[in-house]
Amino acid sequence: MSARGRAGRWTLLAGALAVVLLAATAEIVLDGAIGHSPLIPKSPQIAGWLSGVGERLGFRVFLIALLAYTAAFAGMLALAQRISVRFAIALTAVLQLIVFVGPVLLSTDVFSYIAYARMGVEHGINPYLHGPDAIVGDPVYRYVGTDWTKVATAYGPLYTLLSYPLAPLGVVGALWGMKLEALLASAGTLALTWRCARMRGLDQRFALIAVGVNPLWVIYGLGGAHNDLIMTLLIMAAVALTLSSERGDAREAFAGGAVIGATLIKATGIVLLPFILLSRRRLAPLLGAVAVAVAVALIAYAVFGVHGVDIISALNRDSAFVSIDGFPTEIAHLFGKPGVFPVDHDLLKAALVLIVLHLLWRTWRGYDWVAASSWTLLAIAVTSTWVLAWYLLWSLPLAAVSRDRRLLVAVFAVQGLFIVHQLAPLLEPVS
Amino acid sequence: MSATPRPPDASRWTWLPAWARPLEHERRGLGSLRLAESTILILLGVFLAVATVNDLVVLRVNENHRLRADLHTWRTVTGHDYVNISTEQDIKGYTTRDVVCGNVSPGAPGSRNQICLIVTGPVRGGERAVEGGYYLPAYRSNLKTERFWCFGSATTDELCGSASAPPGSQRIALKGERR
Repeated sequence: MSARGRAGRWTLLAGALAVVLLAATAEIVLDGAIGHSPLIPKSPQIAGWLSGVGERLGFRVFLIALLAYTAAFAGMLALAQRISVRFAIALTAVLQLIVFVGPVLLSTDVFSYIAYARMGVEHGINPYLHGPDAIVGDPVYRYVGTDWTKVATAYGPLYTLLSYPLAPLGVVGALWGMKLEALLASAGTLALTWRCARMRGLDQRFALIAVGVNPLWVIYGLGGAHNDLIMTLLIMAAVALTLSSERGDAREAFAGGAVIGATLIKATGIVLLPFILLSRRRLAPLLGAVAVAVAVALIAYAVFGVHGVDIISALNRDSAFVSIDGFPTEIAHLFGKPGVFPVDHDLLKAALVLIVLHLLWRTWRGYDWVAASSWTLLAIAVTSTWVLAWYLLWSLPLAAVSRDRRLLVAVFAVQGLFIVHQLAPLLEPVS
Repeated sequence: MSATPRPPDASRWTWLPAWARPLEHERRGLGSLRLAESTILILLGVFLAVATVNDLVVLRVNENHRLRADLHTWRTVTGHDYVNISTEQDIKGYTTRDVVCGNVSPGAPGSRNQICLIVTGPVRGGERAVEGGYYLPAYRSNLKTERFWCFGSATTDELCGSASAPPGSQRIALKGERR
């Protein structure tokens, strides 16, 4: 077959895969728009205009669509270097927009974000001291997940401050605001991933597809309007600034500031800082980090008091949670235990410390600091007893621009196992 | 093996043993370390895959066991040996609370008033405990606004709205129900 014929065949295949990706996403969004589904959180009707087409979203349809999407994603990755730049960007953008216009998928977290914002702005209640049950009469309360009604916010003060301007918009207005924030954060992360891939001489189309078409990114991350996407945006800003900076350049300081910004959204963002410092061996990133930390800490202290800057206690509280999807829980079941015991938490923390020390040593020896940061974020997610799909996104953009391809394979493998674990309802039904 | 570039200020680290000195780019030829890391990663990956598949199967088997108990419970409590009974499991909240619905009289699925039982707790003797329930009109979704005649925990949890029972609706006698 001629080269032209082969190119035509690849284009046809890529087109078919794109149709599967778009159809699976549309199926989930259109069926989800009807509501009354265990996969769609109780929510104001924001996507009612889409609800005339689909049927109520059940586990079986969702999981088949997710599997089809994942298979098409794998195929698209394999073809990434054969598709045009325009095709890659258009596909990614359309997928993101389909999810943006649809209902909130798979998680009530966004309503917790809104509740914390409304607590502070509308009710004058400190969200670092009280859970949403302090505003039982507020219209958002009925949408907050039952597990979280008594829990004070664990998010960083920068995120809480960012969410405050949305509070006066009402529940529906704030919900669209949160969805828009997530969309913009996703788009920003993808643009920076593209830029970093180019700076490192990697294929930009592959990096874009790996992140922007990733099923966990699109369906779970963006679908739930998770603030993890804002954290990844700042993480990738730090990477882009560091990669583009010369020694002594102000961009090194801005990179340190961006890392702290990510940390003040979600505490895990801090992971990057030691690896940047070890790699660059300059004071500038540290000075930038300290400057931003002091500035935000002062504002947070003024707005939230000392509890707004006490990230450690929130981390300690959350590290005690156990989810059924966590790898530690699965390992416990494998050994015949009913779940994770306190001693297991200590063992997991010890394992994580060893992994981080090894990566710090490797980075000191010259290993790619971007990859080391990504491995650490992946290790945190895998050793955490509280694992949610969007935690598996933290390491993804970094892995897409790292020089160690084992890393991206590991990230995809962990994500794949997470998806496999979701398939329980697809197995043989009872009679 | 390529030559390893040194950072300009490499002399600052000469007090360290050679293996611990910082490098601008990672030294090529660390093949044994990379091999060891890759081996550990593969073993870890296989281990996690086995744990995941095991969990999937165990989880599914347990749910099947629970679902069978739910159906058996509904048939025993209502006294109706119907085949088409729907069960809604609380998979998201990971509790053992399921809602099992079926017709109050013979007919196609959902074509008659439905009685829904809230079952919970462990499986004992092939059945689970009924803590409450409610009725639904024929051909209606399981929504608060449609439910009527809540009893047990459904009453305390306010699962019924203000809907009144459709004309001609009849309660059915439930085994073990206190009247």
